[in-house]
Amino acid sequence: MKAIVDCNSFYCSCERLFRPDLWNKPVVVLSNNDGCIISRSDEARQLGVGMAIPYFQARHIIEKNDIAVFSSNYHLYGDMSRRVMDTLRILAGETAEDDEAPARVEVYSVDEAFMDLSAIPTGDLTSYAKHIKDTVEQWTGISVSIGVAPTKTLAKLANIMAKKNKKESGCVKVLATEEEQRLALQQTRVDNLWGVGRSYAAKLINWGITSGWELRNMPEEWAHTNMGGVVGVRLIRELRGIPAIVMEEELVNKKMIATTRMFGRPVTALHELKEAVATYISRAAEKLRRQESAAKVVSVFIVSKEQDHLADFKRGGTISNYTTLPKSTSLTHELIKSAVELVEQLYENGKEYKKAGVMLSGLVPDDSIQGNLFVPAAENQHRFLMNTIDNINFSMRDDSVKFGSSGMNKNWKMRQELRSDRYSSRWEDLKGVR
Amino acid sequence: MELEQFSGINYKGSKRFTQWDIPTANATGFGAAADDYMERGIDLNEQLVRNKPATFFMRVTGDAMTGAGIFNGDVVIVDRSVKAVNGKVIIATLNGEMLIRRFEKNFNKIRLVPETPKLSPIDIDLSGSEFSIWGVVTYVIHSL
Repeated sequence: MKAIVDCNSFYCSCERLFRPDLWNKPVVVLSNNDGCIISRSDEARQLGVGMAIPYFQARHIIEKNDIAVFSSNYHLYGDMSRRVMDTLRILAGETAEDDEAPARVEVYSVDEAFMDLSAIPTGDLTSYAKHIKDTVEQWTGISVSIGVAPTKTLAKLANIMAKKNKKESGCVKVLATEEEQRLALQQTRVDNLWGVGRSYAAKLINWGITSGWELRNMPEEWAHTNMGGVVGVRLIRELRGIPAIVMEEELVNKKMIATTRMFGRPVTALHELKEAVATYISRAAEKLRRQESAAKVVSVFIVSKEQDHLADFKRGGTISNYTTLPKSTSLTHELIKSAVELVEQLYENGKEYKKAGVMLSGLVPDDSIQGNLFVPAAENQHRFLMNTIDNINFSMRDDSVKFGSSGMNKNWKMRQELRSDRYSSRWEDLKGVR
Repeated sequence: MELEQFSGINYKGSKRFTQWDIPTANATGFGAAADDYMERGIDLNEQLVRNKPATFFMRVTGDAMTGAGIFNGDVVIVDRSVKAVNGKVIIATLNGEMLIRRFEKNFNKIRLVPETPKLSPIDIDLSGSEFSIWGVVTYVIHSL
């Protein structure tokens, strides 16, 4: 059996943990740049606050009902996410010393993880899931919902059911028997299934396949021809309770690294655009070195604002370009140099830009980590420099040491006007107790 | 004091190293004899953080617990996985506020007791107030 553990309104739960005055009160968290609502507590949902809607659209409900609003505080969420995942690993018996043990926890996103429960007898699944739920809640203060089923797809479905009626389910739902699975699938529309995208859902409904149960009973050959080959077959099997999507090995090295952000306000000057891109490159290069890779290709894209007011909701024009480096590198200054050249090519005077991003690809293992006999000594020195910068920034935080090209003022930086303190990860932000 | 309850197989802190993580003395010949006695040194996390995912740090503001050796500006280490029993210093939430107090529980009565003559104990009326135990204070870090 597999379980999916999903944190309830994760960002809101993190915000509320250190604010008992907000327990049982409506709370929402905004996306980067305070643009959209990306997390709402149950209380906010009940007041009619929509998901993923622009902040300004919900403003009247928020003000009328005195809903607490937060800018996203990714340091806090990241730290709390690590705590939740570590707790699951401890419960699963994955100990830090035992690197060889098969991973029984697969972190799926910042607030979700799959767990392999094959060692738990079927009769004990509900009480075991409750035990996981209670322990995570006790240790980290984050409440979770857990769905248990023979496959990942059915576990996801169980989780949705657990969340739908929290009081009745106690945030735990087990679909262990075929009978339970049948009932669940009959009640579920195909567009609510994990792995069925919007376009497939529309097609399926067109063909008269509306419930999950109907889809489950389609032959595999049919799925192979009509639902994208192997992917479709896998989905049908998963719905039948035959595991077809396996537990992923953890932390595969990324094949590309991207950093992209919206600007806090429209940017028009070339030097500001360059600063932003240099900053993103520094971030991306740090991630690159963390996984001990070097990049061969640097891409930059910038997005301009539509001039036309009617086109407000259309996507602005994105232009991008890339350079292939003569030799793969993980050195920030080399990457910045090519990226800044790309910005110069892409930039058009007079345009307003709202977003930029960088991508490092063509990743290979970084052979400069061990001193290399066949490269000039100076390059080995650069590696030491990078290590030193990374270490300083890691221990002092907030880019204490950076390249001049990243700029000092950063007027373009993200708006986060309502951000809470980093209670769980910074000395200067510790929660005060009286 | 209550190390026994923490130590042993249930340890979930940050102590995680092998013999290979211990740097050996950079010496050859006779000097290398000291190599046999190289240690990793003391890491405060090993002692103070017993269950890492459940451990939080907080800053004390006020004089509520001076009698227990906890002063204004001190940092307290709070473990949410430790059970709050009678006599523990806890972080409590009461009507939307976070308080550090000694936890007194007997029969069906709960009290939050300060350790300063300036404040009086709070009787918790479980039906009329929003009360919960946030975590148990395990250590205090005090600057001299």
